[in-house]
Amino acid sequence: MATETVIVARGLRKVYVLGGGVEVHALRGLDLEVRRGEYAAIMGPSGSGKSTLLQILGCLDAPTDGSYRLAGDEVADLDEAALAGIRNRRIGFVFQSYNLLPRATAVDNVALPLLYRGVPPRERRALALDALERVGLADRVHHRPNELSGGQRQRVAIARALATEPDILLADEPTGNLDSTTGQEILALFDALHREGRTILIVTHEQDVAEHCERIIRIFDGQVAASEVVAARRRPDAGVAGC
Amino acid sequence: MLIENLKTALEALYGNRLRTLLTLLGVVIGVFAVTTTVSLGQIATAGITGEIQAFGAQSLFVIPESSHPEGVPFTDADIDALSRLPIEILRQRSTRVWANAGEERVRLNVVGTTANAPRIDRSIELDRGRFFDERDEQAAAQVIVLSADAAEEFFGSGPALGRELMLETSGGNRSFYTVIGVKKRVGGALGAFANDVSGDVPLESLYRDVSGVPRDRYDFLPITIALDRDAGAIERQVRAILDRRRDPESYQVQSIEGALSLFNTITVILQALLGGIGAISLVVGGIGILNIMLVSVTERTREIGLRKALGAQPRTILQQFLIEAVVLTVIGGVLGVLLSIAVLWTVVALVPFLDVFVLDPWIIALALFVSVATGVAFGVWPARRAAALSPIEALRYE
Ligand SMILES: Nc1ncnc2c1ncn2[C@@H]1O[C@H](COP(=O)(O)OP(=O)(O)O)[C@@H](O)[C@H]1O
Ligand SMILES: [Mg+2]
Repeated sequence: MATETVIVARGLRKVYVLGGGVEVHALRGLDLEVRRGEYAAIMGPSGSGKSTLLQILGCLDAPTDGSYRLAGDEVADLDEAALAGIRNRRIGFVFQSYNLLPRATAVDNVALPLLYRGVPPRERRALALDALERVGLADRVHHRPNELSGGQRQRVAIARALATEPDILLADEPTGNLDSTTGQEILALFDALHREGRTILIVTHEQDVAEHCERIIRIFDGQVAASEVVAARRRPDAGVAGC
Repeated sequence: MLIENLKTALEALYGNRLRTLLTLLGVVIGVFAVTTTVSLGQIATAGITGEIQAFGAQSLFVIPESSHPEGVPFTDADIDALSRLPIEILRQRSTRVWANAGEERVRLNVVGTTANAPRIDRSIELDRGRFFDERDEQAAAQVIVLSADAAEEFFGSGPALGRELMLETSGGNRSFYTVIGVKKRVGGALGAFANDVSGDVPLESLYRDVSGVPRDRYDFLPITIALDRDAGAIERQVRAILDRRRDPESYQVQSIEGALSLFNTITVILQALLGGIGAISLVVGGIGILNIMLVSVTERTREIGLRKALGAQPRTILQQFLIEAVVLTVIGGVLGVLLSIAVLWTVVALVPFLDVFVLDPWIIALALFVSVATGVAFGVWPARRAAALSPIEALRYE
């Protein structure tokens, strides 16, 4: 497989201006490259800028400064329509706080990005039901978010990101609210998606979650502090037994 | 996509039923208030104007100025002098007498008048029988045309035509009059003044049979002018003739046109007032719509952020919000108009002197336009602002 870089970030800065003019520097000139098909974890202390980085990589927010090229395109030069297309077709984003439509059922929530892709209703529903089944929620498809537990909501959010079969999957602490069994199932799902060739970035603070990945990117104070390759033998999907 | 978006919009409206209901209420109240108040003004105007015109718009009343030393009643000579003008003058005298029919003894207003009275006084309409004619007049026949109230007093619901009334006068004279006609009840606002217990008899019969009614004294002169004549010019001619016969200060000429134009001024003021109230209601309704739209902005901004994050195009989102606003305001507007029609119709049906249903399509159009415009403006404007944010900014909005 060609080792094409799909994400190239150079000197990313993000400054949040609070009321009263106080500035928070969430990213301070961050550089990052991600290969197509790579499976990487982003780790770092709380407040180090992991979520901010993931949101910028997902084209959900713009950096204050710096360059972000996605599959060769400078994102800052794209118009709203092109950005909407990228968010809809190329990127699946799992929010840390789920962000589900409160008044829509699980299946309607999962089908929403497919609606914006123009998939006809019947097919949309079938795809959404498929995705819910993959996250183990086949028996909760008609529940609204407030009728689901935290872990179940997280799985609906994951199903929504999977339903569009995106090239790039960005997940912000996707197993944070799951018990270890469900967490393992979700990770197995990510492993499977990785084997299908998708690029996956997972923000996590759990070492064993990170060790599912090929690489751990350590963020500290808005910059990449280290990039560690995970020894293949420690990765459960590497097929190396007896470790 | 439009149909999908219509579904999305309807789902959003249904999903947040309380917000939808409150917004609807704002629109309904605004549209209802403005159409109802303005139309009520028009209905009142139409009702009263219609009646005054039915009374004979081309009329003059000449009356002596009672405070003036020469303000004495008019005479036959005055009438003869005026008769060369293209007008008809009603000679009319009246007095109260006791009248008997069988057991019933009732105080009756006897009006002596001429056979042309129904042509001059438009409030005279026969329900049964006939008015007296020139031959009755010349013969001073003992015939009487009763008002509806009088017929009821004497004969109840029984037949009145052909029955006899005995009139008593102060001298102890008794005369027997045959009922030849019964007038219709005067409807509408003027009915309150025009309906009474009265009977019309030939003027000569009154002079002969009822004592205490001197000849040649008319307390007022009702004058009718043919509709194709210039009432103003005739009024000047009437004044010119009378001025030669008596002191110009000793009498007044009143025209119904004058009364009508005064009345019109009043109703224009009334309509402006009601219209003002309507406009205020519309503004209040508009503010209600605006309020609810703005209150829901936080929630909706997050929704917009989420939809954008999932790849919705900004114009798709705006279209959804536009559809929501249009559906809401159009349904609310139609409900408001229907409610207004129901109320106006009930008012027209229940209030006796309001009998013309008026609903100006322009008022409906204006009310609908204003509510749809506020709804759309304040539904779509926050959505536009929200859609201009990045998905994350919108999702974080508080
Ligand atoms: N919308 C925001 N407004 C202001 N400050 C923010 C905002 N989002 C994040 N921050 C600040 O930016 C820094 C990085 O935040 P974040 O990217 O969420 O970190 P992490 O996900 O690594 O915990 C933190 O100090 C946080 O307080
Ligand atoms: Mg975070």
